[in-house]
Order: sequence, then C-alpha cells, then structure tokens
Amino acid sequence: MFTRTDDKISTRQTAIFITDSVLGAGILTLPRSVIETAQTPDVWLSVIVGGFIVLMVALVMVKLSQQFPNHTVYQYAKRIVGTIPGGMLSVCLIIYFIVIAGFEVRVFAEVTMYYLLEGTPIWAIVIPFIWVGAYICLGGINSIARVFQIIFPISILILVLSYFLSIRLFDIDNLRPVLSEGLLPVFKGLKSSVLVFTGCEVIMILVAHMQHPERAVKATFAGIGIPFVLYLMTIVVVIGGMSIDSVMNSTWPTIDLLRSFEIAGLIFERFEFPFLVIWMMQLFCNFTSFYYNASLGISQVFGVRLLPVIFGLIPAIFITALLPERINEVFKLGDTIGRMGIAIFFLVPVLLSVIFLFRKKVLKQHV
Amino acid sequence: MYRQKKMLIILLLSSLVVIQGCWSSKEIEDLSVYAGLALDVGERVDIERDLESQGAKYLKKNLVTATVQIVPIKSFERQEKSKEKQLLKYSNLRLTGDSIFEIMRQYSTRRDRPVIGHHLKVIVVSTKLAQQQHMDQLMDFVLRDNDIRPSCRVFFSKGKAYDTFLIDQPEEVPAFRINSMTQNSYRTNKVMKEVNLTQLDGLIHSKQSFLLQNIVSSNGEIEFSGAGIIKGDSSKWIGDLNQENVESLSWIQGNGHGGVIKSYDWRNQTISYEIKSMKSKMTAKLKGDDISFHVSIESKGRLIENWDINENPSELAYLEAAEKIFEERLAKMLDSLMRKMQSKYKVDVAGFGKNLSIQYPQKWKKIKGNWDEEFSRIPVTFEIKLTITDYGSSTK
Repeated sequence: MFTRTDDKISTRQTAIFITDSVLGAGILTLPRSVIETAQTPDVWLSVIVGGFIVLMVALVMVKLSQQFPNHTVYQYAKRIVGTIPGGMLSVCLIIYFIVIAGFEVRVFAEVTMYYLLEGTPIWAIVIPFIWVGAYICLGGINSIARVFQIIFPISILILVLSYFLSIRLFDIDNLRPVLSEGLLPVFKGLKSSVLVFTGCEVIMILVAHMQHPERAVKATFAGIGIPFVLYLMTIVVVIGGMSIDSVMNSTWPTIDLLRSFEIAGLIFERFEFPFLVIWMMQLFCNFTSFYYNASLGISQVFGVRLLPVIFGLIPAIFITALLPERINEVFKLGDTIGRMGIAIFFLVPVLLSVIFLFRKKVLKQHV
Repeated sequence: MYRQKKMLIILLLSSLVVIQGCWSSKEIEDLSVYAGLALDVGERVDIERDLESQGAKYLKKNLVTATVQIVPIKSFERQEKSKEKQLLKYSNLRLTGDSIFEIMRQYSTRRDRPVIGHHLKVIVVSTKLAQQQHMDQLMDFVLRDNDIRPSCRVFFSKGKAYDTFLIDQPEEVPAFRINSMTQNSYRTNKVMKEVNLTQLDGLIHSKQSFLLQNIVSSNGEIEFSGAGIIKGDSSKWIGDLNQENVESLSWIQGNGHGGVIKSYDWRNQTISYEIKSMKSKMTAKLKGDDISFHVSIESKGRLIENWDINENPSELAYLEAAEKIFEERLAKMLDSLMRKMQSKYKVDVAGFGKNLSIQYPQKWKKIKGNWDEEFSRIPVTFEIKLTITDYGSSTK
C-alpha cells in the first residue's frame, strides 16, 4: 500500500462518493412520500423518470466543473460571476449542505431512538455521530473516500439481502393496475422522487479532486446509477410487499416491511436490526460527505484554514439537527431540503453555465 | 516516552467509560415477554371487581378486556425442580379498560416484571368485540407501537378470545401453537393464508371487505374453523364463512397448497381426492356496462381413498367417472360460497374487485365506493377441470 500525498481520489472512489452522498435517509421514507403525492402504485415509473432527470442535471454540473480543472465550485463561481455574487452562491450551497447534514443526523437519531435505543437521550446519539464525522473530515477527502469504499459494499449487501428476504411477502398484484390513472400521477410523484437524489451537487466539488477529471462523466453515471437502481428496488419491493394502502399509513415504510416477516433458522430472525445498524453507517457516510463539503466551502470562500472550520461546524450541525421539535417538522425539513435542492440547481450550475457560455461564446472573454 | 505512556493510560481509562455498554439495558429475566394478545368485549373478571371494590379504580369505560399471554413464567432452572407439579409454561393476565396502551401499562401495577411486546406473535379478537368496535380502532395501538412487530398475525375467535389461550397440554404455549398452525396450509386448504398486521393495515385502509381466520375453542382445545368477515365500509365484523367456504375460497383464488375433496360415489361410498396442484384464472368481462366474471379452475390430484370395494380405480372409465363426481362436489361448494357472499352477506372477499381493478381500472374507479353492493348482482361462472393422475400404491 502506498499513501497518497496529493489528496486526489480515483474514478471509482468518486463514484462511491457520489453514491454515498445521494443514498441516505431517503430510502426509509421514499415509498411513502411518493405514494402520498401520486396515490397509485405506478410510482416506480416516477423513480425511473426522476432518475433520468437527475442524471441529466448531474451531467450539466460535471461539464461545467470540467472547464475549471482543479477548481471547486466555490472557486470557479467567483471567476465566472465575480467575487461577491460568486461568494453568495457558494454560501447558499454551504447552508444547503449544513442543513442536509443536520437533517441526516436527525433522521438517524429519530429512527435509532424509536427502534433501537429507546430511552437514550438524543444528544447521546447525535454528538458522538458528529464527533466521529469531524474526525474523518480532518483526514481530508482521501481518507473520507477510503472509509466510503469500506462501508459501501457492506451496506449495499445488507440492503439487498434484506430486500431479497422480503420476497416472501411480495405480491405482484400490489403493483397493479399499471397506469390506471394515466401519466399524471407519475409526474406528480416526480416531485418526491427527484428529492431523494438531493446531494448529487457534491459532484461540483469532487471533480476538482479527481485524479482523472476527464473520467468524471463515467463516475457520475455510476454514482447516480447505483442509487437509482437501489431506489427503484426499494419502491418495487416495499409496495409489492405491503400494498399502497399500508405504505401510506406507515411512518417508516421500508423498516415496516422488514418488520413484517420473521425468518426462522437464519442467524437473524428479524432483519430490521441488522439493516438499521448497517444503514446507520450509510447515513454516517452521507452525513460526512455533506459535512466535509460544507467545511471545504467555508474554508475556500472565506479563505480560512479547514481545521477550525470543521470544529466550528460541530455546533452548527448540532443545532440544525435539534431544531425541529416534532417529527412533522423533521419531515417538513426534508421537503424543504428538496425544494432548496431544486432552487440550488437553478441558481448554481444552470446560472453559472449560462453566464459562462455567454461570456465565452458571445463576449469572447477568457474566463 | 513518558508522554506516550500517559496518553496510553488516558486512552485505556477513557475506554472504561465507552465500553460500559448500554446503561439503559434491561435484562430479559426482569421482563414479561408476551407472545399472545386476546381482545374480548369488556367484562371485568371477579378479581378485578374485587380489586375495584377496594378502590383500585381509574377513569375508564369497560370496553375491552385484554389478555396477555406471558411466557415462560418461571426460569428454566426452577421449572426442573418442580417438574412433578407440571407447571404451565405460560400465564394469562387479564385487564379491562378502554385503551389498549393504558391496559398494557396498567399491568405494571399488578406484576413486578413489566410486559414487553417484542415477541408478540398472535392477536386474537373475539367476533363479538369486532362487531361492536371498529377493527382499525382495536388495531391502532399495535400498529403504532415500536415494540410490537407488524409480523404478528391476527385471528378471530368465535367464542371468547381468552378461551383460545387456554390449553390442556401443559408443555405447550397456546399462542405459539396458534402461530405454528398457520403453517399447515399445505395439509389442508381449510387453513387460510395468515394475515399479519401490515397486511391488515392495508386491508382496513383500502375500505374493501376481507377475512380473518376463525378459531373455535372448547375445554382447552382449539380448532381453525372458517373465517370471520369484516365489512369494508364499516370496518366491523358481520358474519362467518364455514370451513367449506374457506376451502372454496382457496379454489377461487388458486392459492391452496394441498387438501382434500371428499365425496360419495354412486353407491354412496366415500371417495377422496388429494390435491396435488391447483390453478385458477379469474377473468372479468365488460359488455357495455355489465360486468361478469369467469373463473376457470384446474387441478391435478390423486385418488387417495376409495371405500367402494366393487370398483377398480385403475380403470380409466372409473377415474373419469370419479373426476366427474369431484367436479360436481366442488361446483356445489363454490355455489354455496357464492350464495353466501352475494346474497347473505353481500361482500366480496375473494378478490373479484382487485381483479376488476386490474383489468378495467376505469370501470373500477366508478364503482369501487359501492363495490360490495355491485358485486352481489354480478354473474360469476365457473369452469372446473380436475384430473386424477394416479391412484396411489394400490391398484384395486
């Protein structure tokens, strides 16, 4: 093994980094949130369409980032639109990352407190989580990517295994009739199915850290493709196993699916516990990704050292995580994040690309 | 060097704090694990009346009597000592109230070890209670709770649900027995496919009528017998299907894994057909505004019992004649079920509605609010094809 000194990540690591940024708390609530808006079993089509939309969006981000080798979005935003407007855009992105990080921690805490550690105070769950996250962030992007590489196969394996075991409950009739209400509900469901892909904005930062930035498109395809497949699986397995009426009534449908069967004779009789424990690691990756990207943003925008920023963000994330009082507010925060994600997308990559192209092609400026 | 040692000591000491484990953990010996929950119409037992007369009261209506079956009541060690006494492996605890959750917590005023629901396997609801209370009200707590898993199965009881939790064999736990009996559906199609809480939640929420397996009990013996019908729009119990109806239902849905058709031949002697496979295909037909259903049933099986000594089952002519008899018998059973569903109770519990919704979603949307009523007027035709493939190990 050799240790890298240049703090760059390989193409495969980038793909896993993107996957881990996208795949988080969404998997626990996705089936309910899409069915609530669409009200038909056709929501798996929404996930397919949503995945393609997000892939296109991600490609815009990649293409833009590739124009500025070794520069993150925080740095090239200034070059495109000037220091102050660019800085403001970056601050939007940073706040967005901090809020998602806080949200992930909160969802993690809620699920843990309800199903695993009843009676444990929320701070006792949240604080160690943030601390360990801070510790990894101190190691830089390379160590984060390596942690992701270790956790990724384990969490995906357990997820797929749990789904596979739930096949005994699967009834294809729960997914039928197909398109009984036409295409309209599918598009309504898009609202929620696009939201679960929030987090792919990290691509704009990752490209600068890639050893081979020219392979960023490939990494993006893999990085969006893996969560896409897993989300699609989640929707099909959960609806097929529970029926839409039951999913709509369930706060955490994916966990409820795993709680609906028992397996005699295997190491685990109940699969929600291994799933939750492993998924915690996945949520941790998700959280770390946003934590790091927010810290990096602050350090690059305001020109301060990374280390104090990482420590400074600990209370910020802690407060964000504990701000919602009721569970309704937590879910509302999730929805707000989704809407912020769409706004961020139009504000940052689209706006920057348009101005960049305008300056380059029309004004013939060298940016 | 000294600095490193100091660091190491601090690290080791701090690990003492971390590896304490879960400080809010509770030992399982200190808890009452309950495996079954029986819900009856609120009726205070004598002890409860007596306790209440001494002032053990709180504000409540006596709507529901909840019984939890706690297993095992003694630790294994102590059980061995008192082997001669043949201690029961469970204890039933009954309380009355109007909130299941409150009753659960009220147990803590009666027993030292609090009850926990992690291992609840079976819920039995008496049909009398289900007739008075909405099913979704009764199931609300168990669906919401974090300890009780939705994998728990739900049944009806013809008599008191409490009686299904009594058993004359001391080494058996009734709740476990009921739970395991659901696996016998491959032996007879009188045992229905089990309904767990997640499925029940979906069924109640979809506002369509559905069935739950009935249990009857007598002196510590229990039997799965037929099914209770929950009417979709009222979410209340309205009646029963008998054992034969449940068999017929599995033929319509084609989801049986085994069982028997017994009939009598032309000399009025018993002949039995062992089901090896069953397949059914339900098709909805829409002509203008008129809906009709056609169900074609196909099955392969074995002539397993023949009391008629004058006949030779290895002859083709005999087998074909026997097939006819079994087909007629099955047709009669189906007819009786259809009459019960369409005329007596006016409910669809066989999945005709789901079939229509898949084939003609537009039509379904229009009539689904009043489906049970509509269904009672829809003609259903059957086409039955039974094939006796062999006659076991004796030719005569």
